[in-house]
Amino acid sequence: MARRDYDEDDDGAEEEEDQDNAYEEDLDDEIDEEEDEVEERGRKSGRGGKGAKASSSGGKKRARSDFIDDTAIEDDEEEEEEDDDDEDYGGGGGGGGRSSQKKKKPRGSQFFELEAEVDEDEEEEEEDEGEDGFIDEGADLGEEPDRHRMRRPAFIEEEHEEDVDEIERKVKERYARSNRMEYAEDATDVEQQALLPSVKDPKLWMVKCAIGHEREVAICLMQKYIDRGDLQIRSVIALDHLKNYIYVEAEKEAHVKEACKGLRNIYSSAKIMLVPIKEMTDVLSVESKVVDLAIDAWVRMKLGIYKGDLAKVVDVDNVRQRVTVKLIPRVDLQMIANKLQNAEIPKKKTFVPPPRFFNKEEARELKLRVERRRGESGEIFDCVEGLMFKDGFLYKTVSMKSINVNNIQPTFDELEKFRKPGEDTSGDLASLSTLFANRKKGHFMKGDAVIVVRGDLKNLEGWVEKVEEGTVHIKPKMPGLPKTLAFNEKELCKFFKPGDHVKVVSGVQEGATGMVVKVEGHVLIILSDTTKEHIRVFADHVVESSEITTGITRIGDYELHDLVLLDNLSFGVIIRVESEAFQARVPDRPEVVLVKLREIKNKIERRTSANDRSKNIVSTKDIVRVVEGSLKGKQGPVEHIHRGILFIHDRHHLEHAGFICAKAQSCVLVGGSNRANGGDELGSRFGALRSSSSVLQSQGGLPPRGPPSQFGGGRFGGGGRFGGGGRGHGNELVGKSVRIKAGPFKGYKGRVTEVKGITVRVELDSQMKNVTVKREDITDTVARATTPFREPRYSLGGETPIHPSRTPLHPFQTPMRDPGATPIHDGMRTPMRNRYPMSPARDTWEDANPATWGSSPAYHPGTPPARPYEAPTPGSGWTNTPGGSYNDAPTPRDSYANAPSPYVPSTPVGQPMTPSSASYLPGTPGQPMTPGNVGMDVMSPMGGGEGDSVWCVPDVLVNVVRPGEDPCLGVIREVLPDGSYRVAMGASGSGDVYTVAQTDVEVIRPKKSEKIKVVNGALRGSTGKLIGVDGSDGIVKLDGSFDVKILDMNLLAKMVV
Amino acid sequence: MFFHIVLERKIQLHPRYFGPHLREKLVSKLMKEVEGTCSGRHGFVVAITGVEDIGKGLIREGTGFVTFPVKYQCVVFRPFKGEILEAVVTMVNKMGFFAEAGPVQIFVSNHLIPDDMEYQAGDMPNYTTSDGSVKIQKDSEVRLKIMGTRVDATEIFCIGTIKDDFLGVISDPGAAS
Repeated sequence: MARRDYDEDDDGAEEEEDQDNAYEEDLDDEIDEEEDEVEERGRKSGRGGKGAKASSSGGKKRARSDFIDDTAIEDDEEEEEEDDDDEDYGGGGGGGGRSSQKKKKPRGSQFFELEAEVDEDEEEEEEDEGEDGFIDEGADLGEEPDRHRMRRPAFIEEEHEEDVDEIERKVKERYARSNRMEYAEDATDVEQQALLPSVKDPKLWMVKCAIGHEREVAICLMQKYIDRGDLQIRSVIALDHLKNYIYVEAEKEAHVKEACKGLRNIYSSAKIMLVPIKEMTDVLSVESKVVDLAIDAWVRMKLGIYKGDLAKVVDVDNVRQRVTVKLIPRVDLQMIANKLQNAEIPKKKTFVPPPRFFNKEEARELKLRVERRRGESGEIFDCVEGLMFKDGFLYKTVSMKSINVNNIQPTFDELEKFRKPGEDTSGDLASLSTLFANRKKGHFMKGDAVIVVRGDLKNLEGWVEKVEEGTVHIKPKMPGLPKTLAFNEKELCKFFKPGDHVKVVSGVQEGATGMVVKVEGHVLIILSDTTKEHIRVFADHVVESSEITTGITRIGDYELHDLVLLDNLSFGVIIRVESEAFQARVPDRPEVVLVKLREIKNKIERRTSANDRSKNIVSTKDIVRVVEGSLKGKQGPVEHIHRGILFIHDRHHLEHAGFICAKAQSCVLVGGSNRANGGDELGSRFGALRSSSSVLQSQGGLPPRGPPSQFGGGRFGGGGRFGGGGRGHGNELVGKSVRIKAGPFKGYKGRVTEVKGITVRVELDSQMKNVTVKREDITDTVARATTPFREPRYSLGGETPIHPSRTPLHPFQTPMRDPGATPIHDGMRTPMRNRYPMSPARDTWEDANPATWGSSPAYHPGTPPARPYEAPTPGSGWTNTPGGSYNDAPTPRDSYANAPSPYVPSTPVGQPMTPSSASYLPGTPGQPMTPGNVGMDVMSPMGGGEGDSVWCVPDVLVNVVRPGEDPCLGVIREVLPDGSYRVAMGASGSGDVYTVAQTDVEVIRPKKSEKIKVVNGALRGSTGKLIGVDGSDGIVKLDGSFDVKILDMNLLAKMVV
Repeated sequence: MFFHIVLERKIQLHPRYFGPHLREKLVSKLMKEVEGTCSGRHGFVVAITGVEDIGKGLIREGTGFVTFPVKYQCVVFRPFKGEILEAVVTMVNKMGFFAEAGPVQIFVSNHLIPDDMEYQAGDMPNYTTSDGSVKIQKDSEVRLKIMGTRVDATEIFCIGTIKDDFLGVISDPGAAS
């Protein structure tokens, strides 16, 4: 590398040139000297903002003086001398701008000045020139590391000096300097930033040259520079790690071209590329690369057909930079044989033979000559066509550059292949060393159980006491040993005993937890908690943990248990996610297939349904039982359906993450109604037309199963269908927060994570636990209303009557209420059913989700509110309903409050068929229950716990919202048995009296200090005064007792006396 | 291992049960709630043997329910590491077999089955010694040693071994028939 810091544009340069020629023999050294100077300055400016400023201001001054003294360079020189003297004598006095500039330099700069002082004038001059040449000091400093190398020759030059003392002094200075150097390197980022090259600096150009001649080219350019001097380049850099290119620093591309012209090893045709400013620093940044290649280490091949293959180092030749590695051969013996017989076999380039162990007999069969040859170290190899084999492995000598040494993480399988059968794993310490090399920092922690794997104390067990860098202090288990022993980290391996519960923290199985079943040296066999399968892991990759997880569950867009379409048009469920691949359970294949991410085409999300053996519609989440085939007897919820194949998740099935697949035809829906008669499809399809008796029957036949909420999922599209009655739908429930009201976890609150048959899995809020509880043992935390309230609804729909409510938004469950006790249900159920066979359509079960809740009550067209308006009979209205119209009803919420809305319109109000226009929603005090038409006591159900669906009591002020009319105030005078009200219009109830449907009445919430009447809850009917409001709670002073109660505002209505 | 210990629990009772049979009702509710449950600390509650003390009931505001602190004696079953148990095999697969000792499920990995026993797939998967004299299949009774336990909220799962002296099949349903 050669470097000149000239400013050719400067007139002074010409002067300089002469001097250069005159001192040609010294040039090299001078350059070096100069480099040192530059270095010095870099150091200075790097040392602190102040220093940098000083020197740059110096530079400026300098520049100015240059311009001034352009014609009188000699003067400058003289000044320079003066300067030196100044420095010599402690830097006192001195004249001219020059010296004052020097003084500004931070302390420590005298080191280089002193050193310069011993040189001749010109030397100093050089330095000056150099300084002049710098447009920006930062630019040069960016290249600092490169210059470090230059220091040595400079020093040697100084050794020419006769004076030994002088040398000694200089040595000291050197050391002092280098110390300074370190400080400089400690400079803060900001300061470093200031040193980065900018647009004003000379650019770096990348020039292509002949491979292997990079250094030569650099030297040539230097020589050329020396010879000719008119080259306008600044420096040439040849990097050892960059073949084929050199860097040239110059202002302009033309300068580079000029310099390169005529050089043998530079291709004139090659384009000269500019190195972007940002990358300039990278060019010269030095990467400390310590290649620690030991015998028996694991490496990976970088090139050729073995690219990426794991190899084991068997011999290292540091001098020739060559390594002998042991590989699993990818040799096509047939091809070699063919080649020997007939040389003109066309080579298929793309074909890479799979790795296979070499087999001598096989080779002989192909009539290949297998020679026995003795290797360098005396081993006997089998040689075939120049390839060396031993024990089936291929021994190959390659260049060190063609192997990857760093960050090798051999997978278990790979290592397994290398392991000879019968070989003791624990003895395979070499491979351990590679593993150990990849250890993360803080691998060992206090308290870890460890075992010594090498050295005199091999197999000593102990516990980690203290960790310091690479040294681990352990407390040995054996008595009679010192309290603590210090070991190198690499001599230790974590130690586990069977029965320990561990978590895998790195490697392919990362994240999995399980219990150690067996310990084989440093390999553990773990029984996974979730899959109940064996996992083999390195002891190093696990930590002891009581946590229970599945490991990673997601790659890309695919998640565990997703149904995915694979490349070959087969499909399967992901049952295990590994670091790069999935395991999928594909039907018709006994084995699990391992698929890479790219082999998955897409996720199958389409929700379909299938017919079971008795033509029941089965959709996801339904519980089915396999009745045929090898999986007979298995039972579980359907997770996916595709092309008539059901993917059933059986928690008791331990293989394949509990997934079994079966043809829909060989399964039966648990509780399917079509058990006996499979051919009732027509009837079920047109459930609306069904006779009520059949509805009743099917209802009766259904065991109480499944949550009532599933009914909400029922759609009306296409008419009612009972096929899926009472299926284990849990969609609505999943994710809801519930309280457990019985069993060991009674009182806990949590979130439902899974619904399985009659049990649900609840994730407890207060503990990191998932617990399984019976469905009836949970209660919505938000909800407080009665179950009875809901039940009638469900029974109407042919649902199972006894189920606690589960959807928190539907507060229907007060513990006080005895489920199913109220007589209302019977009363209302029968007539309803008789008149309208309300079986909800179930053929679209997959859509069962809370969102469709609203549509379910659509069977209420027959509710009494219709009557006062003399609408078309609800029954006819209903039958007229085009099949799917309710399906599409956009129900905004899944709350009961809104639920009634859809059917409001279907009352004769005028839009019989339109399901719910949003405007009705807010005001409709939905009483889904209203079927009070049967003569039940409207008061008794008191179900509507939720705010706007309360049952009103007389004397409360209400807002009457009738479709098509402005809302007006009124006072309820009487509650009619059918659920409607007699309302006296006017704020004081003095106006006309109308009969108004419940749905059209809105309770007026009281304000502070107004008289109230409690419309719901235990205190229903009592009156009082609202003395304050606290959020959604009202503070009420009751009339009779003067008790102060805090009641939900929704329970309060403004009373008119 | 079984323990006879005294535990305490709060039982909520609906007011409708208040009356002469309150105590009976309370005890029956306690049994219903507690028996068969599992806790990490005590293990499975097998049976309540007696009620030591029923504290004063506290009415819960808003619900009317009354909470009684009840001290009761019960038999609990908790498996320990190293304990030797007798269990009934419930399932055999190639990875090992599952056995149950009362409420406790124990998995015996094939690594922890003596090496001379081999897995035989088929209708009735089993592990058999090479001479066929010993066979582990569903419903066999085995004596095993617990190697490790994992305590969940509602269950205790153990891994066990039969690779030790005096462990293994103690009665074979196949042999009996």
